[in-house]
Amino acid sequence: MALGNKTLDDLINPISKQLGNAKVADHVDMPEWEFKAQRVTDGKSHDELVSMFEDEAEKIHISVAHCKAADLAACLAKIVGAGVPETGEPCTVVYAADERFRAAGLADALAAESLVTKATEWDETAGEACIEAARVATYGITYATAGIAETATIAQPTCPTCGRAISLLPLCHIAVVDAAAIVPTMGEVMADLAKEEKLPSQVCFISGPSATADIELVRVEGVHGPMYVNYVIVE
Amino acid sequence: MSILYNTEATLAERVDECLSDDFKHNAIKTAQEVFYKKRGELVEEMGEGWQQLRMHAMEVRNHVTENLDYYVKQFAQNAEKNGCIMHYAPTGDDALWEVLDIFEQHNACYAVKSKSMMTEEVGLNEILEEAGIKITETDCAENILQTAESKPSHIVVPALHFNRSAIADIYREKRGYDGTDVPEEITHFLRKILREEFLEAEVGIRGCNFAVAETGSVTLVTNEGNGRMVDTFPKVQIVFVGIDRIVPDLDALDTMMALLPRSAVGAKMTAYFSLDSGPRGAGEVDGPEEVHIVLMDNGRHELANSEFSDMLRCMRCGACLNICPVYRHITGHGYGSIYPGPMGLVLTPGLVGYDDIDNMVYACSLCGACTEHCPVSIPIHDLVRQHRINIVDQGKNHKIEVPIFKALGLFWSNMPIYMAGMTLGAPIMELLAHDGALDADSTWIPVVKNWTSTRDFDILSKSRFRTWFKEHKEEQAKNAEGGEQ
Ligand code: SF4
Repeated sequence: MALGNKTLDDLINPISKQLGNAKVADHVDMPEWEFKAQRVTDGKSHDELVSMFEDEAEKIHISVAHCKAADLAACLAKIVGAGVPETGEPCTVVYAADERFRAAGLADALAAESLVTKATEWDETAGEACIEAARVATYGITYATAGIAETATIAQPTCPTCGRAISLLPLCHIAVVDAAAIVPTMGEVMADLAKEEKLPSQVCFISGPSATADIELVRVEGVHGPMYVNYVIVE
Repeated sequence: MSILYNTEATLAERVDECLSDDFKHNAIKTAQEVFYKKRGELVEEMGEGWQQLRMHAMEVRNHVTENLDYYVKQFAQNAEKNGCIMHYAPTGDDALWEVLDIFEQHNACYAVKSKSMMTEEVGLNEILEEAGIKITETDCAENILQTAESKPSHIVVPALHFNRSAIADIYREKRGYDGTDVPEEITHFLRKILREEFLEAEVGIRGCNFAVAETGSVTLVTNEGNGRMVDTFPKVQIVFVGIDRIVPDLDALDTMMALLPRSAVGAKMTAYFSLDSGPRGAGEVDGPEEVHIVLMDNGRHELANSEFSDMLRCMRCGACLNICPVYRHITGHGYGSIYPGPMGLVLTPGLVGYDDIDNMVYACSLCGACTEHCPVSIPIHDLVRQHRINIVDQGKNHKIEVPIFKALGLFWSNMPIYMAGMTLGAPIMELLAHDGALDADSTWIPVVKNWTSTRDFDILSKSRFRTWFKEHKEEQAKNAEGGEQ
């Protein structure tokens, strides 16, 4: 048979044949599963989940800060106001064009920080310029849709107001997450996503700084993504 | 076909080579111990839940295998609905053809790739390079291997066989690195040089850990973030998906993700796990404009509804490698397959057949540790044994085995011959022995030398166990009688 240009049927027919099916079923019912796994988060109160989220975050080298919704801008400004981690040099910031950041007055708070030389709000109309801002930024700030207690993971969907580059290219990623959005496991986030008509082009689950152990199993943080990750939990 | 490599050498030669490389097998041993310990702690923390998760994962994966045609179709249709361009590849060559076609359409000559076993399986890099396309591996270990022109020794940490100074030297020579041998410095050098490549590449090529049928999504698990770079910047993205990567829905995905990082590296979660459903949406500035999914079979369907169908549950976590005593010594290079270790012993012949695999399936002691640790409870060692049975049934074993086993059968089933052999054995062995055992001095004797060159062989006892047992019983009876008096 010639190479390439195969159809779905070319791929599926041998499978059906192997399974002894004359044709592909129109519908397959999901069976009643026999096993349902209990998870370490079972039976935990919401407060316990939040503290589990924090404990797990610490284990994977994520710094955690808390604030009230009203203090969000001040809290973020304080973190980036310290400049580049370790050196304290002047820094630049890129952040999602999120209504909640606007409502909190983030732009003004950042402008008031002497060590912040430039703060760029993600702008879908600016195209590549946004990516360039993220490439040179020290800090990228996003608003996560959920936090997962079991693994200290945040869920970060891509959307016009929050590009993938913000949580990927800067040296540090700061993810803001509402305490109320902290759930036990990834299962709850998946269940929410399953209700959506159409999934975002990407939902990225992030758990800590980018890391490798490829050279002699020595852990090194800061490979292709951020070297530092901060969470800000909004009460 | 690029599943097998270094096939000019026999299994024994490859093993000898690996055994003589102390750094290599010590590196693997350390990796095994580290991963094993971390995994063990996490499993313990989950208590009963771990076994339930395993059982649940097994029932879910089995359900997909039993309805594989349906789920492949569902995934393909839903991915298409998400705006992905589908390419169907019954064979590896079909996949290569499709990929070359995509490059041609875009007139592209530069790609970045995040680690994908499927692309290794079809030998994608070689073909692209032949076509004049530059392709850069971006996972640190894979980049080290590509720069050094070497092969993976472990499926999760593939460049363990190089020490830090060898790695630094590779980059000094090939990429102008001028730093020290410190892993951190080398890694940060890689961050710098690769970042430029990510931003320049026209095409991103990646694999997929699990594909979700209900939503048509593909997923990628990485720690370094290279997978994210690959699926954020190049305008065109090619995703390789094996037909054995499918889970029915997002709920099942959660179950798999509770098992995979724990089993693979002893972590609750990897730094990044992305769920991708189509190209960038309206108003999005980054992410691929065009997503091509190459859905590939390449021999997998033959495992369905066969004695090896359990293997279709495999999530390539590497837990079976991390526990295997044979793998510890012969390392990934001993097997001569890109799929090494216990999973490789089952998968490799499953995909390429028995003709070219040498006696690979004998690189296993059948201890069963792999089976016990497999997150989806694949009876790995039973399947290895099944391959051996098939090889013998199909007459593909070594020709000399048949007369040998016939002779042994005769010896053991014929009482007079057996008795004569046993009676003569002890005095003959005694002639050759030192201190009651055959030692390294007996290596001139064929067959025996395979054992005695590394350890002693105790000589046969002069009296038989049955004789001793009979006497022992009589003595006991006598003593008992004596006691009653
Ligand atoms: S066989 Fe089991 S343990 Fe081995 S890689 Fe596959 S899923 Fe993991």
